Amino acid sequence: MTMLPERAPGARKMGLVIDLDTCVGCHACAVNCKEWNTGGEAGILPDYDKYGANPDGVWFNRIHSYETESPERSRTVNFPRSCLHCENPLCVTVCPTGASFKRAEDGIVLINTDICIGCKLCSWACPYGAREFDEDNGVMRKCTLCIDRIYNEALPEAEREPACVSTCPAKARHFGDLADPDSPVAKLVEERGGVDLLAELGYRPTNKYLPPRQAQLPTGPEESPARPSQGVGAALLRLLDKALSR
Amino acid sequence: MSVKSVAHTTCYMCACRCGIKVHLEDGRLRYIEGNRDHPINRGVLCAKGSAGIMTALSPARLSTPLKRTGPRGSGAFEAISWEEALRLLTERLTAIRASDPNRLALYTGRDQSQSLTGHFARMFGTINFAAHGGFCSVNMAAAGLYSLGGAFWEFGEPDWEHARLFLLFGVAEDHDSNPIKLGLARLKARGAKIVSFNPVRTGYSAIADEFIAVTPGTDGLLVLALIHCLLEAGQIDTEFLVRYTNAHHLVIDVPGSAEHGLIARDAEGRALAFDRTAGTLVAAESLDIDPALMGRFTLPDGRAARPAFALLAERYSEASYAPEAVAARCGVDAAIIRRLAAQIAEAAFRHPVVLEQPWTDTAGRRHERMVGRPVAMHAMRGISAHSNGFHSCRAIHVLQMLIGAVDTPGSWRYKSPYPKPIPGGGPPGRTVGPPGTPLDAAPLGFPLGPQDLLVDEEGEALRLDRAFSWEAPLAIHGLMHMAIARAFEAGAQKIDTLLLFMSNMAWNSAMNPGETTRMLCATDAHGEYRIPFVVVADAFASETVAYADLVLPDTTYLERYDCISLLDRPIGSAHGPADAIRVPVLDPGRDVRPFQDVLIELAGRLGLADFTAARGGPLYASYADYIVRHQRRPGIGPLAGFRGADGTAVGRGEPNPEQLRRYVENGGFWSQHLPPQQLYYKFANRDYLAGAQQMGFIGSAEPIVLQLYLEPLQRLRLAAEGHGARVPPQRLRARIARYCDPLPIWYLPLEQAMSERSRYPLHAITQRPMAMYHSWGSQNAWLRQILPENRLYLHRELAAELGIEDEDWVWVESRTGRVKARARTMSGVNRHTVWTWNAIGKRAGAWGLKHDAPEFTRGFLLNHVISEFLPGNGADAPQSNSDPVTGQAAWFDLTVRLERCSPDSPDETAPRPDANPLHITPRSEKPT
Amino acid sequence: MRPAASILLLTTLTGFAYGLLAWLGLDAAAGAAAAAPTLLLTGIGLVVVLATAGLAASALHLGRRERAWRAFSQWRSSWLSREGVAALLTYPVALAFAASAYHSPAAPLTRLLGAAAALAGLGTVYCTAMIYGSLKPIRQWHNPHTAPDYLVFALFSGGTLFVLLHTVVIGAGGWPAALAAAAAAAALLAKLAYWRHIDRQAPLATLASAIGMAHGTVVRPLDAPHFTENFVLREMGFQIARRHGMTLRRIALGLGFLLPLLLSLLGASGGAPLVSSALAVVCAALGLLTERWLFFAQATHVSALYYGRSI
Repeated sequence: MTMLPERAPGARKMGLVIDLDTCVGCHACAVNCKEWNTGGEAGILPDYDKYGANPDGVWFNRIHSYETESPERSRTVNFPRSCLHCENPLCVTVCPTGASFKRAEDGIVLINTDICIGCKLCSWACPYGAREFDEDNGVMRKCTLCIDRIYNEALPEAEREPACVSTCPAKARHFGDLADPDSPVAKLVEERGGVDLLAELGYRPTNKYLPPRQAQLPTGPEESPARPSQGVGAALLRLLDKALSR
Repeated sequence: MSVKSVAHTTCYMCACRCGIKVHLEDGRLRYIEGNRDHPINRGVLCAKGSAGIMTALSPARLSTPLKRTGPRGSGAFEAISWEEALRLLTERLTAIRASDPNRLALYTGRDQSQSLTGHFARMFGTINFAAHGGFCSVNMAAAGLYSLGGAFWEFGEPDWEHARLFLLFGVAEDHDSNPIKLGLARLKARGAKIVSFNPVRTGYSAIADEFIAVTPGTDGLLVLALIHCLLEAGQIDTEFLVRYTNAHHLVIDVPGSAEHGLIARDAEGRALAFDRTAGTLVAAESLDIDPALMGRFTLPDGRAARPAFALLAERYSEASYAPEAVAARCGVDAAIIRRLAAQIAEAAFRHPVVLEQPWTDTAGRRHERMVGRPVAMHAMRGISAHSNGFHSCRAIHVLQMLIGAVDTPGSWRYKSPYPKPIPGGGPPGRTVGPPGTPLDAAPLGFPLGPQDLLVDEEGEALRLDRAFSWEAPLAIHGLMHMAIARAFEAGAQKIDTLLLFMSNMAWNSAMNPGETTRMLCATDAHGEYRIPFVVVADAFASETVAYADLVLPDTTYLERYDCISLLDRPIGSAHGPADAIRVPVLDPGRDVRPFQDVLIELAGRLGLADFTAARGGPLYASYADYIVRHQRRPGIGPLAGFRGADGTAVGRGEPNPEQLRRYVENGGFWSQHLPPQQLYYKFANRDYLAGAQQMGFIGSAEPIVLQLYLEPLQRLRLAAEGHGARVPPQRLRARIARYCDPLPIWYLPLEQAMSERSRYPLHAITQRPMAMYHSWGSQNAWLRQILPENRLYLHRELAAELGIEDEDWVWVESRTGRVKARARTMSGVNRHTVWTWNAIGKRAGAWGLKHDAPEFTRGFLLNHVISEFLPGNGADAPQSNSDPVTGQAAWFDLTVRLERCSPDSPDETAPRPDANPLHITPRSEKPT
Repeated sequence: MRPAASILLLTTLTGFAYGLLAWLGLDAAAGAAAAAPTLLLTGIGLVVVLATAGLAASALHLGRRERAWRAFSQWRSSWLSREGVAALLTYPVALAFAASAYHSPAAPLTRLLGAAAALAGLGTVYCTAMIYGSLKPIRQWHNPHTAPDYLVFALFSGGTLFVLLHTVVIGAGGWPAALAAAAAAAALLAKLAYWRHIDRQAPLATLASAIGMAHGTVVRPLDAPHFTENFVLREMGFQIARRHGMTLRRIALGLGFLLPLLLSLLGASGGAPLVSSALAVVCAALGLLTERWLFFAQATHVSALYYGRSI
């Protein structure tokens, strides 16, 4: 059913918080996602022309890098992009078959590939480019938030999180219930000023991004100290005058 | 119903050695994830490790032993049996060993079993053994091991939990990557400041709080300027210096004498110092003295001597090391250098880390707490891959020592089993006795002076690659990058069989692939190959395989036993020692064998000591058998865990037949946590050193004195001045005298000093993409989607100046050639530096890729414009393009110019050597 | 947006079909059926053929054609589903209209069914238009022009067909051609207004907001995730050169709107009615295919921002 579900009071809003301050752009999340999902319940994520001129495939998560310049500083920002499990997902409502749906209980946006007709309209409706077409099976694919991990009781509890979160070497990805203000992810968003991507389009993404920041511990003078006027060695000699003990 | 299982083993998609859990379903790979219990990666796994499935399915996997049938390089082979391959090799090596074992040269690339391969070489009796360290990071290894008894990366790590300021110098982001990423995350979470010194702002530099776009090859100068500022401001940890370093050791000051610059010693050989309280000379190791760090003293024999620190302070106080003097050269404002020095001092001295943890020093003195300097440093390729890298790395270590930031809370720390005594082992093994006698020590070692060099009467190198000679005296990892060029020069007199394992010496591991492949194919006047016999052992059809006479197909990492040994490149951390195994998870289903198994069988067939049973024949059935039963010294074997008959001994203990099973039960690894009183000050921590001795890591529990002043270099330098029995050949004397300075120096990288800078004004370097490991990623269907081709990156302003736009084709021209690349502009790069990703370009025909793969058509190697040799001076043969102290390949010394290609230039890179895919005649179709 | 041939055919053919149905229906509603039942029957036959061809073409776009029937289920939220339902419902209405016109062309029921058929046809066109009009990430579609334009274009293209049919079946008549000329003029003005609108629109978002950076941050792409083109770029990152686009606009304008307008005027004034009305259909078809191609090719998708494309 592609009408958006009524969100029950107290329902969870599962999603990711991605820390752009620590993401080093290593592609670990993207490849581990590919690996988990290609063998997972959702079926193989296809690759095309694997060893030829135009290697391409379906990925649920892709890592861009950008250079940013603001009056304060310039830097390189690595940016992982995947489905944001929006609260207002146009990709769901445009679906003519009900294949694209949002779960009432946790807000996860999924595709039922058994009834998807492959019209691609949902991919047009997503401003984040998060949906990719599976040419081999003629259906649309997207991030499932590893629904086959997070509720999988065959896995140890610590492993019940999306593969991208488990594998992230820089710990730049966090998973949890963003509807619960006391959850670690919600607190992280609160403390670090987490933002919505493309907020102006009104999709109200569940996933949040933490913007880059500066080191928090004081590290001494921000201004360059003047060249000592006493001449080279005076301070050193004073230091060396002190008795030492071996 | 499918059958599911999980195996614990060790990744080998790069050199990180992370623990992995491999999920199988009906015998097929289903999923590989990080092992949450493993000390290296604690559950995380990078892109490479996560793509292991696709490497296990690579179309480039070799499937049978091969014997060359066409000309070298043609790719024409016939499939042969293992029996035939081993028989061929045994016959050849038996003959060599009987006449001159040094005519076997064994180079083992990115080997993680060097304790085995090196031992094979030693028992065979050849000095010509090395792994890839010479073209990777020997500058750092040598500088660290000779200065601190440990080194960046493999033998040390920052104190991620306590550092306040982290200085990162030119890191290769495919090395030690998961531990560093985990560490950076900890620093970030704690709000510590990260400063990255790198010409390029990608990867780790991208998340640094401050990015210093240093000019390539000037890091050492920048560090010396920081030292200048700290000296100027009197911000030095003198207490640390006199307790733990040789700063107060007196250095003989009689210029021109045979002992000038050496440490003054008493009759017992103990270094001397001057005690200011007593006003007398005392043994520097004495307790409770007030050692002078400045001044000039007279030795009992009347000679003058000065504390090592005084020499240091005098040198770096000079105006030539002032930030203002180095700023232009380094490409960093003087004000920034001064601010960074002030921030280092602030963090080190205003914010010491105090842990309420008592410990006892080697003098038996109890300290109530551990106090540390929270300034941690880490360095890698940006330091190492220059011909001044040894001294640059030494400069960083000197900076660490001056602020007391070595193995203290918050600073850089040793990883077990380090620290080791300085230096960490004996001299390199040499030929003793008749042909066939094992070397007197392992082929790679640590020279302490001219007496330890491997040179002949004329002072010329004995080794093929000239390691441990006056051309590269501290080449403790050998010079693998010179092996083929030197073999070509020497010809059959000096070399018969060149056995290469797991390195792509005909392509991206060659400093110049065109020259290297030409030399591999060169013949003498009789039409015989100048390098008579080339054996390549590899799992994959790399570019090098086509140049082999005999190919020994290896398995992938998921198809064999392996050990990550404390005897080799350990995976211990600052928290304690660890080692691990690999276990076969998949059945290869091809006629391939693990190289280690093959080497052990070959050793047995050759009758090598330590590998041959008393009744003859191989002593070990396989590498797995060797891992369990081999003892290097009594009780010390490849694996430290679960030793002894009952499996309870650690470090030392009898071989345990059940050892591998115990490792498997333990998740594929063994680790031990050091007690808290042993975690810091390991170089002088009594309990730690006693424990390390007990475990067999070190021979004695004596304190390890950090070497601010490096006396062995002065010994070499004195020889260059003509002192002593062994002196360098005349042509190398000035070079040795200049570069073997016992205190860090900075000099223009050799190639830059010799090339025409007005014509080649730009620096050209490579960076390591985090999702690739050298040439391995391109055969991987997932990883190659990320980077199937590479770009030449340059600063937007430089591009504008040269009229170059994104996606334009440009010629990158150096003094030796040119390569065609596609440009991409950016801001986060040193204004005078161009760079690209390493090892993306491939030779058509290799790696199982189709003929139109972008790796062939548009991917390019910067190696095409690098040379193994420096420009000649006309009189002498050209020197190798390497660090003059360690022989480290100077990849990053390259200078180039750019020129935009004409718009009608074809949409492909150049040079593009002809495709040479393997053509294999099957065994059954072999003509009779 | 990538102009897929199947979708260009679908929207152009159904535009002609349902536009023609609207003309036939309105003609009948106005009481003209009694005079020319043959025109109606031939016309409705043509409507069915063209609409079916268009819908069949659209099925080619689907990854799983055998599941196409599922597309009728989500009419409560999905304009695509509504389009399917509307198209489906239009068949019985059009057939009932035809039957009634056959049996009792003069009956009030025929007039009523004519009106209903016109409504059904235009309703289907409206649903089609709203598929595009509802897509927020595409500013060139998600605007007040899209739905009216589709309706006007349907009336215009259907009008050219109606005039041709009228000329063939009944003979030259001034008023249909005059009305068709008016529709062509309206379509032409609508298209010009649309282009003027999209050329002056501000982008929906910036790369800075796409990656969560503060307003005013300059962001430049350094490396894309993968080197080769992927689905998102192929589907949503389609680009044509501006110059190329201007040329095509001129062709669309001239061929698709201006020539049919002039031909209709010519027909209305009695000049070579068969030739001019036939030519008008051909021109309108080619021109509208070009216009429709441009409607896609010049539409930009917010997700292309991530790849450094301007939107």
